[in-house]
Amino acid sequence: MKRSPVWSWIWLLIGVFYFFIPLVSTLEFSLRMIKGRYTFEAYRVAFEDPYFYLNFGYSMLWAVLTIVISLLLVVPTAFWVQLKLPKWRPYVEFVTLMPFVVPAVVLTFGLLRLYGRPPLSMNSTPVLLIAGYAVLSLPYMYRSVDAGLRAVDIRTLTEAAQSLGADWGTILKDVVFPNLRVALLSGIFLTFAIVMGEFTFASLLAKPAFGPYIELIGAQRAYTPQAVSVVSFLITWGSIMLIQWIGRGARGQVQVGGAR
Amino acid sequence: MAFLDINHASKTFADSAAVQDFDLHIEKGELVSFLGPSGCGKTTTLRMVAGFEVPTEGTIVLNGKDITNQAPSQRDVGMVFQAYALFPNMTVGDNVGFGLKIAKKPKEEIAARVKEMLGLIKMPDLGNRYPYQLSGGQQQRVALARALAISPQVLLLDEPLSALDAKIRVELRYEIRRIQQETKITTIYVTHDQEEALTLSDRVVVMSAGHIEQIGSPFDIYNYPSTAFVASFVGTLNQMRCRVVDAGSGKLALGDQPFKTNAPIRAGAADALVMLRPEELHMGVREGDNSLTGKVESVAFLGSVVRVHLKLGESVVTLDALNERKLVLPKVGENLTVSFPPHGCWVMG
Amino acid sequence: MAVERSPRADTGPRQDQGDAPSARPPRKPFSWTWVGVVPFLIFALLFLFLPSASIFIRSFEGPGGTVTLQNLLDIFQKSDIRNAYKLSLEISATTALGGAFFGFLLAYAVTIGGLPRAVRNFMLTFSGVASNFAGVPLAFAFVATMGNAGLVTRLIEAAVGVDIHEAGFSIYNFWGLSIVYMYFQFPLMVLIMAPALDGLRREWREACENLGGSTAHYWRHIALPILAPTLLGTTILLFGNAFGAYATAYAFTGSFLNLVPIVIGAQIQGDVLYNPGLGNAMALGMIIIMALVMLIYGWSQRRAARWMR
Repeated sequence: MKRSPVWSWIWLLIGVFYFFIPLVSTLEFSLRMIKGRYTFEAYRVAFEDPYFYLNFGYSMLWAVLTIVISLLLVVPTAFWVQLKLPKWRPYVEFVTLMPFVVPAVVLTFGLLRLYGRPPLSMNSTPVLLIAGYAVLSLPYMYRSVDAGLRAVDIRTLTEAAQSLGADWGTILKDVVFPNLRVALLSGIFLTFAIVMGEFTFASLLAKPAFGPYIELIGAQRAYTPQAVSVVSFLITWGSIMLIQWIGRGARGQVQVGGAR
Repeated sequence: MAFLDINHASKTFADSAAVQDFDLHIEKGELVSFLGPSGCGKTTTLRMVAGFEVPTEGTIVLNGKDITNQAPSQRDVGMVFQAYALFPNMTVGDNVGFGLKIAKKPKEEIAARVKEMLGLIKMPDLGNRYPYQLSGGQQQRVALARALAISPQVLLLDEPLSALDAKIRVELRYEIRRIQQETKITTIYVTHDQEEALTLSDRVVVMSAGHIEQIGSPFDIYNYPSTAFVASFVGTLNQMRCRVVDAGSGKLALGDQPFKTNAPIRAGAADALVMLRPEELHMGVREGDNSLTGKVESVAFLGSVVRVHLKLGESVVTLDALNERKLVLPKVGENLTVSFPPHGCWVMG
Repeated sequence: MAVERSPRADTGPRQDQGDAPSARPPRKPFSWTWVGVVPFLIFALLFLFLPSASIFIRSFEGPGGTVTLQNLLDIFQKSDIRNAYKLSLEISATTALGGAFFGFLLAYAVTIGGLPRAVRNFMLTFSGVASNFAGVPLAFAFVATMGNAGLVTRLIEAAVGVDIHEAGFSIYNFWGLSIVYMYFQFPLMVLIMAPALDGLRREWREACENLGGSTAHYWRHIALPILAPTLLGTTILLFGNAFGAYATAYAFTGSFLNLVPIVIGAQIQGDVLYNPGLGNAMALGMIIIMALVMLIYGWSQRRAARWMR
């Protein structure tokens, strides 16, 4: 039953080319700031720009806030649904699918109409931005934690702990969180990658962030935007690699991303 | 030359020899089991007959034709897989008729054959169901019907019952045998369950670590095992290490209790391993039989059988007695005398 | 009657009768357990459902606060809006089909196609990364590839002697953007199809062969029908993915291509055609299309799961 994998190699090569040519091109382009030779000049310019650090810093801040809020919302919910409210599962899962139905543009539109005008005018604060990011990361965070809980059959573990006399505090500390470590870290790093690369919310809500910054210098300069794109790609790649490394050995979770 | 000849077949994978020198000749209409523990090579041998593995050495000849290197789709064999392998996107009827559809048989013929097959497996009204709507036992019967629909010369079953509940397994076992005898199809049945192998087969091939240990009828395999492996794998076996008193006249002693055996003992041997089936032992003394006394260690009432563990000398021996309403169960700790006939035991090694 | 605990018991509602009581004491008539999910639900309500509801309601709002259906009708009647939808649908369909086709072939190559295991792992990891690499950096990456001074442009010039941009070729159009979109569509397909292809049991293929079928028979009667729900569902997902994309389109072709997200974005930024009711109607149109996408996707998932049991 051995088939010759010639066609497989061909498709693979085409796929690999398609993936790598843009990456190679970007890298190559970013090195061509000075005519005639390859140099890291574009990177120097990028890293010397104070706005780079400012916007990068803002995105980091938004990422941290989003992660905290996301965790606070998702973990208790996932836990409670698994353990005590299994009938709510379809409704909760529906909520986690909603962010796909309401794309970022549309959600921004709705948020601004509702909360961005008097008497609420919340857009002078980053609340709407963080809310939008939290909504964006909700599906991934929930699915990650939910899969993690299911993989260790948290209900049986909790019952075993209870039968041995443990109280809720001990259960959460010694049973739930250690077993969730991998799932939590995966969710955290994916959220991090998403927020760092995000453009739509930040741009339309007129908030400082890395995404709009890249877009801005893209309009103003040449070569430097590509250098920053390489940096952005490395961040994304690094986060995903971390997730894979953390999750090695654990049940495989497909971290599926999307358009932005 | 028999109907199906597997001539000295071997299969070696990169790091191990899965099957070595497998030689078997199956007559038309026979049901032969391959019995053995996991990893003994029984499934690999079956797959060589089916064509999913090609023998490294040896040949396979079916009805005079050498099929050793023939593709699976060209052979005239039908296979039933352990995991049923029904096509989930097709109804029961479409599954059963699939082989005929591939062979481009006319629609009416396919429909008639499917109806016949569904009748054979006693599921005439389930033709429009999908596999996921059926129980495990039902799915396996459909798999059987599907394999038989193409009228193969040989039927191959790869542990077909191991995924099923115990009760269904027993029912289906008899069904399979009934169908096989009704259609008179030559069959190879792979299993690790000795009860299945003994119940169903005309002959049993006991395998271990890639080679054949013994080929014989169920009765022969059980009562006259040719190797220690077969003796202990099939059924429960008592193995007692005894002192040889006189090899020529078959006199042995267990501890300081003498007894006699009809089995030949190697001359000059100081001790011997005596094999005895639990059902050959009886409680109490019997005329003409050997008698031994020991201490009862445990008594288990299994319903139709009473199982007693008895300490005889250094060995713990199992005794199986058929239940009777007037039976008085022995008590743990009491001394019990048991007897067995001299021809009931044999000597190994 | 004993309640059986199958390995899949945790995916369904808990059987509270019989001999498997739940973890909490059964006496309490009113339970506080739902409190645990309240913050989550409040958040969803405030920042997801209310904005969506507001969009829905205000779609029927005309200038001056009147109730009107005109906004919805404008979607079909006003040619700019109609064209925006048409364009969005076109690019979504194109990249969904293209991504599905090539993604499937690549997934096939690394799973069943006989390539070494390491290749499969690498491809799946890289697909995970690539499906997340969208938006502004991706746009600039393609500028660096096929733009005026892009690598591929220069390579073609070096090889063939023709400066394709001077000859009138431009990537900042429908086809150029489609190629950019494929960069995250393609890997998404691979990520979802690879496990589905793994789920094709070896025994199905062997049973087919045993019954006399060839490879073609296997694919035609068994494998493709089994994969069909997943293929369909994923293609629809890809469609929705492209339809909702904003950042990539904005960074690559700006407002040159009047895609629906771009138009909505322009409305938010208070551009020329500022008409809140219309913006709402377009946003609602997007929600409806995306909801349809998710419904079909959900249906296909359930269908596939039923067969793959």
